[in-house]
Amino acid sequence: MSDDKQPDLARREFLQGSAGAAAGLAVAPGVMLYGPAASAKPIDEAASSEVRWGMLIDANKCASDCDACVRACNTEHGLGDEDQSGPRQQTQYIRKVELRNKATGASHSLPMMCQHCETPPCADVCPTGASFKRADGIVLVDRHICIGCRYCMMACPYKARSFVHESLEDQEPYTPRGKGCVESCTLCVHRIDLGGIPACAEACGAEGNGAILFGDLNDPNSAIAQAVAEQATTEVRADLGLNVGVRYQGI
Amino acid sequence: MKARFQQIQASPGFYGLLIGLAAVILIGLGAAYYMEHNGHWVTGMTNQVVWGTPHVFAIFLIVAASGALNVASIGSVFGKTPYKPLARLSAVLAVALLIGGLAVLVLDLGRPDRLIVAMTTYNFKSIFAWNIFLYTGFMVIVLVYLWMLMERKMYPRFGKPAGFVAFVWRLILTTGTGSIFGFLVARQMYDAAIMAPLFIAMSFAFGLAIYLLVLMASYRWTGRELGDYIVYRLKNLLGVFVAGVFYFVAAQHLTNLYATEHHGVEAFVLLNGGIYTFLFWFVQILLGTAAPLAILFSSLGRSRTWIGIASALVILGGLAQVYVLVIGGQAYPLSMFPGYEVSSSFYDGVVASYSPSLPEVLLGLGGTAMAFALVVVAVKALHLLPESLSDKAVNPHAAS
Amino acid sequence: MKRLSDLLRSLPALLALAVFAAPAAAGDGDSGLRPDIPEPLRGDSCVEETEDMRRNHMDYLKGHRDQVMHQGIRTKKYSLKECLGCHVPTEDEARRAGRSEGEHFCQNCHEYAGVELDCFQCHNTRPQEPRLPHPLTPRNRQTMQDAGNPATAELLNKLADSDKNETGVAQ
Repeated sequence: MSDDKQPDLARREFLQGSAGAAAGLAVAPGVMLYGPAASAKPIDEAASSEVRWGMLIDANKCASDCDACVRACNTEHGLGDEDQSGPRQQTQYIRKVELRNKATGASHSLPMMCQHCETPPCADVCPTGASFKRADGIVLVDRHICIGCRYCMMACPYKARSFVHESLEDQEPYTPRGKGCVESCTLCVHRIDLGGIPACAEACGAEGNGAILFGDLNDPNSAIAQAVAEQATTEVRADLGLNVGVRYQGI
Repeated sequence: MKARFQQIQASPGFYGLLIGLAAVILIGLGAAYYMEHNGHWVTGMTNQVVWGTPHVFAIFLIVAASGALNVASIGSVFGKTPYKPLARLSAVLAVALLIGGLAVLVLDLGRPDRLIVAMTTYNFKSIFAWNIFLYTGFMVIVLVYLWMLMERKMYPRFGKPAGFVAFVWRLILTTGTGSIFGFLVARQMYDAAIMAPLFIAMSFAFGLAIYLLVLMASYRWTGRELGDYIVYRLKNLLGVFVAGVFYFVAAQHLTNLYATEHHGVEAFVLLNGGIYTFLFWFVQILLGTAAPLAILFSSLGRSRTWIGIASALVILGGLAQVYVLVIGGQAYPLSMFPGYEVSSSFYDGVVASYSPSLPEVLLGLGGTAMAFALVVVAVKALHLLPESLSDKAVNPHAAS
Repeated sequence: MKRLSDLLRSLPALLALAVFAAPAAAGDGDSGLRPDIPEPLRGDSCVEETEDMRRNHMDYLKGHRDQVMHQGIRTKKYSLKECLGCHVPTEDEARRAGRSEGEHFCQNCHEYAGVELDCFQCHNTRPQEPRLPHPLTPRNRQTMQDAGNPATAELLNKLADSDKNETGVAQ
């Protein structure tokens, strides 16, 4: 390891890494430091409750035969590699739900994931506090203190959580996950913290349907805040009064 | 209190029983290791039915544990003299059943190695967190109560206060256990205030049934005298408790039937839920409620054998009741989109399927064996059982 | 009888002798009992002094992980991914091995010390590829200084968790 060569190598690596960054430094393939979202917080600052991340899903734009969001999520987080678990034991952060109105016959399709409630029942029931809500509204599982009791899975009104039923390997770097802990949609918190948007929203846009709109509900200038202020939107299981961060249109 | 308590004598039968129980415990531990090492994919539990057979056993044992203390409470708190000699066994049985139930619960955790985390990091909005204190506190309080019962100098002054504290604590504990389900807004079968009182009633019945069986078995197998006076009082009490459980079950279902919103889940339990309907009507109601009531309050109730059968049926009905509650409650789909047919790759909108797997059953049985092994060791090591519970010893002033 | 009981009494001492003599008897230069810690790939120093790291790495990691999880503060200095980036080689499968193999940088020493290693149940044992330079290793520090772009410098200081201007490039 001669010292002469190393600075050049380091400089080349460094410059390769930062090539392609419009406004800043790339820290991983596809993840930009200061990307398009102007409201990205600096990485050494804590998440704050001035921001409330949310999504608006338009079921009218959601195609029944499309599962781009599910595939993108699985790829992003490295899901679906549980080969010993049965189909009922495999993790799904997001799934496509097909609805048919029993009285009128109308059909809809929509993605369902963790709704990131303001008063999450999962966080209420977790004995160790591993299930918690971050200041900016994202509900997460701290897998360092999760004991795998699955009480949060009983408590979730949306059945959003999954349990890892086997030993895993080769996890995605930003989604550590392992046997015996509970997991669910993180709203791609690793992307958001670095200025990006969730993989499902990105994929839906790329697919051309644009059914998933992501943004800051507390920012009056954001597209999502304006959309929910002008149009009628609903929460799934609104009667529970959870004030969820994921709102729906068209159902 | 003039009863003389004596340790039981060891015998081949005693050691045989202990060895048998130890074997079941070891198999249960092996099953727990198998589940933990491989992960829960080896069990029947899924992302839809997350609590399975181990939890059925654990909840049954924990509920019965608090009920087993009743006999002691009737003596200490309510001052009924004939019950006082029965108190020591009652206290030990309560602690043993609780330990067995908790062992099953802890060994089924996804990360049992993080038990230390569970005992040091708390979210006090969680009823589970409170239950950790309630369960460990119960063990300490009942052991102190047992000490007061056994220590001649302590009993006159502290026997009743200790009994009172234990009685109140176990009511709070069972309320906490029932609230595990009562606090869940998400599921159609839970989210009801009646869960806590229902569990209290269940604890009375299950605990006394187990106590009766343990009492009759230990006196028969050690050749000590157990008079009808005590047995008849206990069996009548068991009948009353079983009727009490039935009252709460009836109230729960009749109330649900009134609300259209709950018709789906009621139909599931009462009509078309397959195994759950069978367990409810045939095992819980017929075998676990009607049959014991018929036996205990008829002339059959004078026979020890039939009393034993009735107690066993109450236990069987109780297991079925907990199974329908825990597993049926999860199998029934969440009502996310009322009025819609729902389908998805995550099994939304359909009744979840579940079948108990062998490791789960072995773990549950292992915990049960642990509870009984503790009782067996305790009656040998300590002066728990009165030398004689004949009618004369228990109630010298009764007219014969 | 007396000789047997004497022998039994001295058994613990004999065993202790055997255990402690083993390393000496194991031969010259044979590190039979000590961990075989691989050389780091990049940089000539870690983010903290070696002795400090040996003793306190768990506290740094735990503090950092709680910050990331609960507050979203994703600085690089004490990030586990960055540790792996320097300490786990690209080739040499044994060194990159999974959590139960003894040659992984972390597993190696933990096995020697007899301390349970819980991280890799969930975290990947291998760093993400391609690896990006770590701001704090001296060689890279030099590179950053040569690059001299103030916006980058501010960024890098944030990455390095530094109100201390450890990259040395901020104006």
